[in-house]
Amino acid sequence: MKKTFSLFFVAFLLVGISSELLWAKVYIDIRSPSFRKFPIAIAPFQSPLSPNEDMKLGERATDILNGDLSLSGFFALIDPKTSGEAIIKPPLGEPSTGTGQGLMGAHAEVIDFRSWANTGAEALVRGEVTYKDRSLALEARLYDVLKKELIIGKRYIGEITDLSRMVHRFADEIVFALTGEHGFFQTKIVFVSNPTGNKEIYLMDFDGRNSSQITRHQSICLSPRFAPDGTKIAFTSYKAGNPDIYIKNLLNGEERRISYYPGLNISPAWSPDGQRLALTLSKDGNPDLYIINQDGSGLLRLTDHPAIDVSPTWSPDGKKIAFVSSRGGNPQIYIMDAQGRDVQRLTFEGNYNTHPAWSPRGDRIAFDASMGGNHNICTIRPDGSDFRILTANLGRCEMPSWSPDGRNLVFSSTRDGGPHIFLIDAEGTRIKRLTFQKGGDTYPNWSPRFNE
Amino acid sequence: MLKKSSVWLVVLISIVALAFIATGCAKKQVVKEEAAAKPVVEAKKEEPKPEPPQVAPPPPPKEEAKEEAKVEAAPPPKEEPKPEAAPPAPAPEPIDLVSLRLQFAFDDYTLSTKSKENVEKLGAWLSKNSTEKIQIEGHTCDIGTAEYNLALGERRANSAKKYLEGLGIASARMSTISYGEERPLAPNKNEAERSKNRRDEFIKTK
Repeated sequence: MKKTFSLFFVAFLLVGISSELLWAKVYIDIRSPSFRKFPIAIAPFQSPLSPNEDMKLGERATDILNGDLSLSGFFALIDPKTSGEAIIKPPLGEPSTGTGQGLMGAHAEVIDFRSWANTGAEALVRGEVTYKDRSLALEARLYDVLKKELIIGKRYIGEITDLSRMVHRFADEIVFALTGEHGFFQTKIVFVSNPTGNKEIYLMDFDGRNSSQITRHQSICLSPRFAPDGTKIAFTSYKAGNPDIYIKNLLNGEERRISYYPGLNISPAWSPDGQRLALTLSKDGNPDLYIINQDGSGLLRLTDHPAIDVSPTWSPDGKKIAFVSSRGGNPQIYIMDAQGRDVQRLTFEGNYNTHPAWSPRGDRIAFDASMGGNHNICTIRPDGSDFRILTANLGRCEMPSWSPDGRNLVFSSTRDGGPHIFLIDAEGTRIKRLTFQKGGDTYPNWSPRFNE
Repeated sequence: MLKKSSVWLVVLISIVALAFIATGCAKKQVVKEEAAAKPVVEAKKEEPKPEPPQVAPPPPPKEEAKEEAKVEAAPPPKEEPKPEAAPPAPAPEPIDLVSLRLQFAFDDYTLSTKSKENVEKLGAWLSKNSTEKIQIEGHTCDIGTAEYNLALGERRANSAKKYLEGLGIASARMSTISYGEERPLAPNKNEAERSKNRRDEFIKTK
């Protein structure tokens, strides 16, 4: 068990050369509200040394990279087949004008940039995966097609199971090189699923790959939430017969029950500094909001109201907390300061708004809203303006959680039965289903970036 | 042509090494990445404590629920404490707790007239069988958000508990738990099924 937890933090060998002047250039100004999607082509990755054709290493790497870049929302992916040079061939005949610098400098890779430019691509990714002597190597390069130059090249060496991590890592490099902002391709999502018949916590890559079960309580586990450093999760479990809060360390698997008052101990929310948790307790007779330290000490009461107060979420600066309260007669989102003062109602649209999630950029709060029997994911500014509905007619959509860059959300939806986990961008224009396992997948929570 | 020979590899490695020294920016980048991974591994070593089972201070003994909050579910102060007049009963009277389940309206935790009747029956039984203890389980249908429903289920369980307290049943003989929407009786496929799931159940405990 220990091993599985340490796995996703293991670093593989990494070698890279980049042409340093190009780091400074921003190809895609993603801060501009109407940036143009950047046309990029991914030539199918080759796997010449693969001992076993079935492994399809090149194909898999290409798939993962395609998935990453399209999910990022920054790119228009150009079909490589529209180029005359879809396949990397051995350098035969005369080189085209302008040769990309071979990654390792040992030989000049010949690239027909003109052919790629004709496809409309402004950047090109090429790569090669080799598996030899039980060692997996991924070598990948990003080229500026118009300037006919190498932007970055990386080589990753690891084990056979590292392929998707290598590709995600290179995808992050691509986004960073072109936008100046870090991507989120190495992030994870925790969620609740029940293929075993019990609700347990699962962990997967942000794109839905590599799912693994991380609790075995054989009870009911709910509301997993990543600590701000990504090394721990807090969650609710009925393991001891009552809904209590546990913290699990993902590095060593250690698990501790930190809040077990009589009644509810639910909906934990980490403070941005990772030291405290806001949560709902009903020990005083009614579900109210409290704050405790992550070792369970230092209990502090935030709300004292005969209505239900639940599902807190902190503003990224730690000064405010949004939460659900039924004090107005039905569940609505409210905001107060982190001491429990100055409670203001945020949502007025509809009569059932729950599960708020404050964007890591601070500018919006997502929540789910009941509308005509369905639930939709909505967002609103913390001042109550600019209400938007992201999902429409997608079944019951619940439990939104933001990507670390605040540009995307994951949520649970019954759109295809399930429920399953889906990803949507903050404008509501792109949606992708992430989970396909049997059972119902709920409570997705997106990790922070691990490598900052 | 030399592509796959090991000589090539050696050459590459040395070139890479050179490149590391030569490229300022790229070098920083690489170093940063390697360094970024390490502290995590080290942190892993520092952490393992031999799992002190419960470091958290034990929560205070269950305080009595605050009265002032409840208005709706507060029972009428009728037939006050039916004193526990039962003699040391040899065997408790049988009771069909399933038939006493309470139903609730959507997003509501107030006791209907029918529910109050059921709770009164239960209260009478508890008074007679003074060694019996019960757990009250609050449940919801699957409409709405699971966390909110946990809180709603708690309110439903508490409504029954407070009513029983009003009937003179000692709160120490009753525990509550909310399962929210996690333990439905019926699959929530239609309103009839959902309505069935919005309930309190009573379970005998030791």
